[in-house]
Amino acid sequence: MLKLNKDSVLGTFVIIISFCLVCSVLVSSAVVALNPFKEAAIANDRQVNILKVSGFEVKGSVAATFAQHIESHLIDVATGELADDKISDKSQIESYDFASLSKKPQFSTKIPKDQDKAGIRSFSNLMPIYFSKDDEGKVIRVILPFYGQALWSTVYGYVAIDPQDGNTVKGVTFYSHGETPGLGGEIENPRWQAQWVDKKLRNEAGEYKFQIVKNADHEGAGKDFDIDALSGATLTSRGVNDFTDYWMRTAYKPFLEKLSQGEIIK
Amino acid sequence: MSDSVKVPTWKESLLEPLIANNPVMIQVLGICSALAVTSSMKTAFVMGLSVTFVITLSNLAISLVRNYVPNSVRIIAQMTVIASLVILVDQILRAFAYDLSKQLSVYVGLIITNCIVMGRTEGFALKYPPLPAVADGIGNGLGYMLVLCVVATIRELFGSGTWFGLPIMETVNNGGWYVPCGFMVMPPCSFFILGCLIWAVKTYRKDLQEPNEYDTHREDY
Repeated sequence: MLKLNKDSVLGTFVIIISFCLVCSVLVSSAVVALNPFKEAAIANDRQVNILKVSGFEVKGSVAATFAQHIESHLIDVATGELADDKISDKSQIESYDFASLSKKPQFSTKIPKDQDKAGIRSFSNLMPIYFSKDDEGKVIRVILPFYGQALWSTVYGYVAIDPQDGNTVKGVTFYSHGETPGLGGEIENPRWQAQWVDKKLRNEAGEYKFQIVKNADHEGAGKDFDIDALSGATLTSRGVNDFTDYWMRTAYKPFLEKLSQGEIIK
Repeated sequence: MSDSVKVPTWKESLLEPLIANNPVMIQVLGICSALAVTSSMKTAFVMGLSVTFVITLSNLAISLVRNYVPNSVRIIAQMTVIASLVILVDQILRAFAYDLSKQLSVYVGLIITNCIVMGRTEGFALKYPPLPAVADGIGNGLGYMLVLCVVATIRELFGSGTWFGLPIMETVNNGGWYVPCGFMVMPPCSFFILGCLIWAVKTYRKDLQEPNEYDTHREDY
């Protein structure tokens, strides 16, 4: 056998190339082999978070509870109408990847700078929404994804709205963020999230009133609309307030109006 | 690279890095990730395990091929192995511990740049046979994990009143009595804790103190 000098130019090339080949085969086979597990983990995480605001406890497996109570739809954000037929593969609705599609020009709409309170620059034309149904099949909550810039990161969450009036918040959860644990990270705190329940987005005149503020008014005029800002996390609170404002006041307005008029759920 | 040099025993390679030659406290390597992931026990523990896994396997792999690695590109060869292993760890975490991988985010990927890993393959695995190299990898990984867990215990307990997510001291936010120390959850805090740890260890083990590089009592200073 030819004795290869490992420190010669040829030897160096041969050895490094075989090294790279072995490593790349190892890495790519691991990525491919683990793919189904990763997808299942992501789907499970999404379903857990949607169920958190659905009003139903997980019984048995997450997937079974989800299948029993949750129905996925797409809406056209601009018109507020259901748009399930806009994509061909219906199984893709539940996992519709609005976050990455919002960066592709053909699937998204630019937000004018002065309106972009969420700091997201553009939104996906279609958004997945979820109906939470009780055992009789009656829709008790409509779950909408919302997201935007807070202090360090883009915060992603779901908010559940009462389908009767399209105005009352029934629950909120944040499933992905990079805020400081213990300070801004307290947006995960269930006690803080509990404040959102039964708050109204708009007053009777239809003006958007919902806000996250310091010294929230729990007694008087703000009773139905104010949520305490998180202490020690002024900028995170402001970010969450601003992107909630953007989605609920502006982006989802057509949908919420149609919802309250009974045009979405018949 | 002959094997005739004195090979450290299993026990030495395993136990030395825990305190006497701890990669974080004595060699002061891998500080970046020690600051970033120690605000909670869970992340620190998983990070410690991941680093141990990467060091051990990269030490093993490099030690196996140590006689074939061309000297001029040995660093690149080590990086290739380490990077592949880190991607592997990242993928495994994403598949089986999705929540944790979200919390650890970029820091798993940054194991590649952790000086401890590279330091061990370059300083140890290239010179010694596989078995001591594996022991050395496990020892250094555990040494790193030990420091991370001590720092994380202090930070999580005083910063969030919990340990491994279990409530120890009920915080005011959850209706209890403990007002969490906000500073504890900020990354700079681990600098202070690490500094105190190094101080404590070197006070207890006087033999670990380095001699002064110059005489502070000299007249002409």
